Amino acid sequence: MTKYLIKRLLHGLLSVVAVVGLVMMLIYSLMNRNLIFVNDPQYTKLSNNVKTVYMHQQWEAYGYIDYENYTDFISQLHLQGEMSDSEYESAKILGRDATKDNKVTQKYVKMFTEHYEDLGWKVTRLNAISYGGNRIAAGGDSKLLASRDIPIFKRMWEYFSKIIKIEDVNYAKNIVGDRGLTFTLHDPIYDGSFSPAIIGNGTEHKYLLYFDSQFPYIHQNIIKIKLGTSYSVKKGIDVWDNITTRQGSYVMRTVKFPTGLVEQSADDLHTARYIEGSRDALAMNRDRFVDDYTNVDTYKNSMSRIGFSFVIGIISVLIAYVIGIPVGVIMARKKDKLVDKIGTIYVIFIIAVPSLAYIFLFKAIGGKLGLPTTFITERLTTSMYILPIISLSLPSIAGLMRWMRRYMIDQMNSDYVKFARSGGLTENEIFSKHILKNAAIPIIHGIPGSILGSLTGAIITERVYVVPGAGNLLTTAINNYDNGVIVGVTLFYAMLSIISIILGDILMATVDPRISYTTKSR
Amino acid sequence: MNNDKINETGLSKEELFSFVDHDELESEKITAPRYSYWQSVFRVFFRKKINIVILTLLFIIIMFAYIYPLVYHYDPFANLNRPEMKHLNPSKAIKVMGLSIHSILGTGASGQSTFDAIWNGSKISISLAFVCAAINMTIGVLLGAVWGFSKRFDIFMTEVYNILGNVPYVLFISVMVMLFSASFWTMVFALTITGWLGIAYFIRTQVVIIRDREYNLASKCLGTSTVKIALKNILPFMTSVIVTLLASEIPSYISYEVFLSYIGMGLSDMSLGKLIYSAESSMVTPGWEFEFWSPVAISSIITVVLYVVGQNLGDASDPRTHM
Repeated sequence: MTKYLIKRLLHGLLSVVAVVGLVMMLIYSLMNRNLIFVNDPQYTKLSNNVKTVYMHQQWEAYGYIDYENYTDFISQLHLQGEMSDSEYESAKILGRDATKDNKVTQKYVKMFTEHYEDLGWKVTRLNAISYGGNRIAAGGDSKLLASRDIPIFKRMWEYFSKIIKIEDVNYAKNIVGDRGLTFTLHDPIYDGSFSPAIIGNGTEHKYLLYFDSQFPYIHQNIIKIKLGTSYSVKKGIDVWDNITTRQGSYVMRTVKFPTGLVEQSADDLHTARYIEGSRDALAMNRDRFVDDYTNVDTYKNSMSRIGFSFVIGIISVLIAYVIGIPVGVIMARKKDKLVDKIGTIYVIFIIAVPSLAYIFLFKAIGGKLGLPTTFITERLTTSMYILPIISLSLPSIAGLMRWMRRYMIDQMNSDYVKFARSGGLTENEIFSKHILKNAAIPIIHGIPGSILGSLTGAIITERVYVVPGAGNLLTTAINNYDNGVIVGVTLFYAMLSIISIILGDILMATVDPRISYTTKSR
Repeated sequence: MNNDKINETGLSKEELFSFVDHDELESEKITAPRYSYWQSVFRVFFRKKINIVILTLLFIIIMFAYIYPLVYHYDPFANLNRPEMKHLNPSKAIKVMGLSIHSILGTGASGQSTFDAIWNGSKISISLAFVCAAINMTIGVLLGAVWGFSKRFDIFMTEVYNILGNVPYVLFISVMVMLFSASFWTMVFALTITGWLGIAYFIRTQVVIIRDREYNLASKCLGTSTVKIALKNILPFMTSVIVTLLASEIPSYISYEVFLSYIGMGLSDMSLGKLIYSAESSMVTPGWEFEFWSPVAISSIITVVLYVVGQNLGDASDPRTHM
């Protein structure tokens, strides 16, 4: 069994890699990359060669290409001391076209061209653009640049090798005191009361393991998951951090900073991260911190995106199973009677009517009944959850009713049922002890999927009720060409779906002893 | 002597056995009652009176979606410069425009008749659903049948299914839309490029279930070719499954188109989904709600009618109901 599961998991991981590769091919090679400039005000202001350079810079930022500029190339050489100052000054000047370059420039242009052509890049020379005579048009200075589309395998390798980041003691450059990890039973933030913590010096995070009052109470910063960095929606923020960071307004509490300063602040000192030179840069940091571990997160009063999605999702899943299964069973028992007919009409309604239509219908009915129809993160009340939960659970109830009824009816004609009936069992016993157990097996297979599925959030429901959840992540990312996020979210979804299928299989084999994944058992 | 004995039983001559001559020609004939599959399907289908009602509704919908726009040319921007025509609810519209078919559902944001807009949109949405369903069902059923039969193909296709099935559908569609602009045929392409996969998987599972039944095994032992088994033994068994599947597929494309429009990735034409999307803000404006609810209601009616017709046709095409 274990061997089989490991094989399944590895197989699943392989297909996840393939999914990510396919998605990367779709968004980086197939999608029109000029579309990122559609709503870019900067783009419309620029013209001529400067515009071309800007386009390349943006493409590099969005992750489409590798890009290098001649000016950066020679200033790099200059910094490394491979060029004298006078040489640098003359090499900086690019002629109007290749024939008009000075001697020094010619030498370095040749070097640049050869260096990047050897690497397989495409070197482009943009000649100066002038209005007749000698006047150069705005942004028309000549430019030399090299670029290439990032090869898919290099892209995949870079992505997957950076997904899991383990803390490194040699991360920070300028630290106070000795490099290393210390284990303490008395977390300094709690002023000496008992609370174990591992504190690093030289690592990116100061606190590697600590306890606090927030769910899940024990936190670690040793292993970090990096799904992909956002560029256009939330610049520089990783997908994983985006969905797991708390939202809402600040929660002030009395904080004692490392320097001994005590004040009302929302800073969560446990999240301190290293930023080189940050203590000296700001007087505010000098007052509070004793080292460069100054970048802290803040306490906020409401849940993360994934938290909202999960709470709404899990409650609606629970409601769906609690209502859907018994109703499905009753429909099967009273087949072709009134209950069955009403249930069938409901199922048809849910299947056939566009989901958008009935979600709006529920919203309108709920609004008429006086329930709040929009989510306000700042003033959260329990009643705001009611309508999103109902909107999510009603369709799942229909699905469960439909399948439960179907499986029960399929079982009702089996030989074992006839045998049980001829043995004199009552209908109640037959239904609850024999048919239900067999009919529930395919339903049980779907339970892990629906639980894990609630982590991904619901696109329409969250949009209609303005829930700050994770459901809209993918569509917003697509609309903003946020390629890093698209890849990250796809990976997250694919992992969840593979894990839930495997968990479903395990669960099914646990409840049904007839199912076995090893060949030799019978 | 013989005759006397018969009379002793007290039965008339007709009820007793008598010798029949052996007839070579007669023995070749099959004497079961004549059975035509499709005739029986329609007999069973029309036995339910509700089906006639729903079929009439479907006919009306098709007429309005396809013939009405031909007869009455619809121009969405005809009343653009007449502010008194905009955002009218039905009672006001009847007052302004007079009682006509164009005014019964009021007018929209640019003074267009909601009724006309809905049927123009329905034409696009229904066409999209039919075209997509036709393509996906054809590819899905054919590939699914091969997938179910060939074990080597099964391993390969299961991998493809695991990979493509995990790529978010929205992503596929948006990439296609961004590649080729949001036209009708782009949407068809986007919805069919991986849409057949789910159908093929469903058919594959059905084929696997039926494939190894005894009667197919017997047929195989008697030397029937695989193609013939597929066409003569399995396809008739699957007709009702395929029709039932089709019944839920067609409305699902209409729903999906509405969903895509709502998240801003839909068609550029004024389809039903686009209509609902653009009227969304009217829903929360007092007095304008009608603009939003009428396309929603009509699209729901269309999908429900298509679904019910398909389901009942699926039930009727199951030979077990023909008795």
